[in-house]
Amino acid sequence: MPSIDDVTNAPDELSDDRADELLEEADLVQDMMGEVCPYPQVEAKKGLQKIDSGDLLVQETDHVPCTENVPRAVGDDADAQVWRSGDAVYRIYLRKQ
Amino acid sequence: MVATLLVAAVVGIAIGAFLQKGRFCFVNAFRDFFAYKDSRVTKGVLAATLLTMVFWGIAYQFGYYQGFWTPDWGLTGLLGGFVFGVGMTYAGGCASGTLYRAGEGYLQFWLTLLFMGVGYAGFTVAFPTLESTYFEALTFGTGATLFELTSVPGGLVALAVAIVGLLVYATLTGRSSTAAAFGERADVAQLNPTALLAPVVGLRQFGRGTAAYVRGLVRAWRTPIASSKQPWDPRTAALGITAAAVLWFSQVSIVGVTGPEARWTGYLLSQVGVDAASFDYWGSVLFQGQGVGVTVDMVMIAFVIVGAFVAALWSGDFSVRVPKRRRLPNAVVGGLMMGAGSRLAPGCNIGNIYSGIAELSIHSFIAAVGIVAGVYVMTHWIYRDVGCAI
Repeated sequence: MPSIDDVTNAPDELSDDRADELLEEADLVQDMMGEVCPYPQVEAKKGLQKIDSGDLLVQETDHVPCTENVPRAVGDDADAQVWRSGDAVYRIYLRKQ
Repeated sequence: MVATLLVAAVVGIAIGAFLQKGRFCFVNAFRDFFAYKDSRVTKGVLAATLLTMVFWGIAYQFGYYQGFWTPDWGLTGLLGGFVFGVGMTYAGGCASGTLYRAGEGYLQFWLTLLFMGVGYAGFTVAFPTLESTYFEALTFGTGATLFELTSVPGGLVALAVAIVGLLVYATLTGRSSTAAAFGERADVAQLNPTALLAPVVGLRQFGRGTAAYVRGLVRAWRTPIASSKQPWDPRTAALGITAAAVLWFSQVSIVGVTGPEARWTGYLLSQVGVDAASFDYWGSVLFQGQGVGVTVDMVMIAFVIVGAFVAALWSGDFSVRVPKRRRLPNAVVGGLMMGAGSRLAPGCNIGNIYSGIAELSIHSFIAAVGIVAGVYVMTHWIYRDVGCAI
């Protein structure tokens, strides 16, 4: 469905099932609930430094702007996808390049 | 009076909703630009400021305005702005960002608001001393806006400034893209034509970007309900905030946040038995000797929180968020620095960057430099382990 998302550079959205599957295989999960910018961005960059190429870092957050800012912050270091629960909980999936 | 309160409610709700939907955050705008050159929100802030300037200039020219806010200028703007900039970066939200996040359910930002209040109260107590030692020593000139200083019609002045701003932006983006195209091999002989072409290349990119944005907007309108629940482009927020600000300018004043908040602090303290009017700063400066009560701008600011709450609820972004204990210093120290800094400047990011530049106030240009410098320094400190792009 076309939406205003087309102009906001938002990362790809994951379905509920796929999001749960990926969470199980995550190599590093960061609990960012209650945290606000820029700390999730800083932690994402630090986390990516710890894991190997191809590994998956997942951040669980309740801070909406993180779903855009964290993927932007890591840039080309990782492929980003997000999952929105629809209830103010979000997960950011970062696959290290 | 009822009509004015209605305007306050409409403007406040609109600003709160657009801030929330567009993630319109001044900390984000400058911090992320310094940290990793993300200029998305920065562009939204610049667009909102320049557009508001054009419309306010036109409104001023034809007399549809109530008044400007032009504090005396000097180093107070630079120092106070710097303290405010450091504070807002540490707190993770500017004056307007704190309001809309409070509406989204962040308990951390209610705490930030509380400590901004402590900052306002502390400043008020220290004001008699500060007046002679700080304000008199560091103030050099009477406050003024370029709109009133020139004999050129306000609308033209604003358009000229906006066009210069656009050309500078076009030159910068054009230069970075032509430099990228030529790569490392560009020598002196090639630099000259590219320097001349840069504004053209940049303007063409600006035109393409705007066209793409409008197409996206048109597409979004086909599914209004689904689109309204999605996050919005900061440029959409910029347009909405501009419309609200123009209505406010024609009916009440320029848009401010920390001034009304400092009045709220005095008013709330007076409700619990403090004689707020006996303090110079509340009595004669903020309430201008008219007694401590609820003013229309205080109502507007409160409705910003309501607007953000409604928008967040509608988008499924609302929830009561409990901060981690290690983030409490951010709210406490950041809030105090924002409260005190916004009084020392005076003015916050909205008063000085958004409204102040839009009304071409001399004081606000200085304060804006101070605020951005504060963000720059604090961003480097926060990103000290992972590095900044600028």
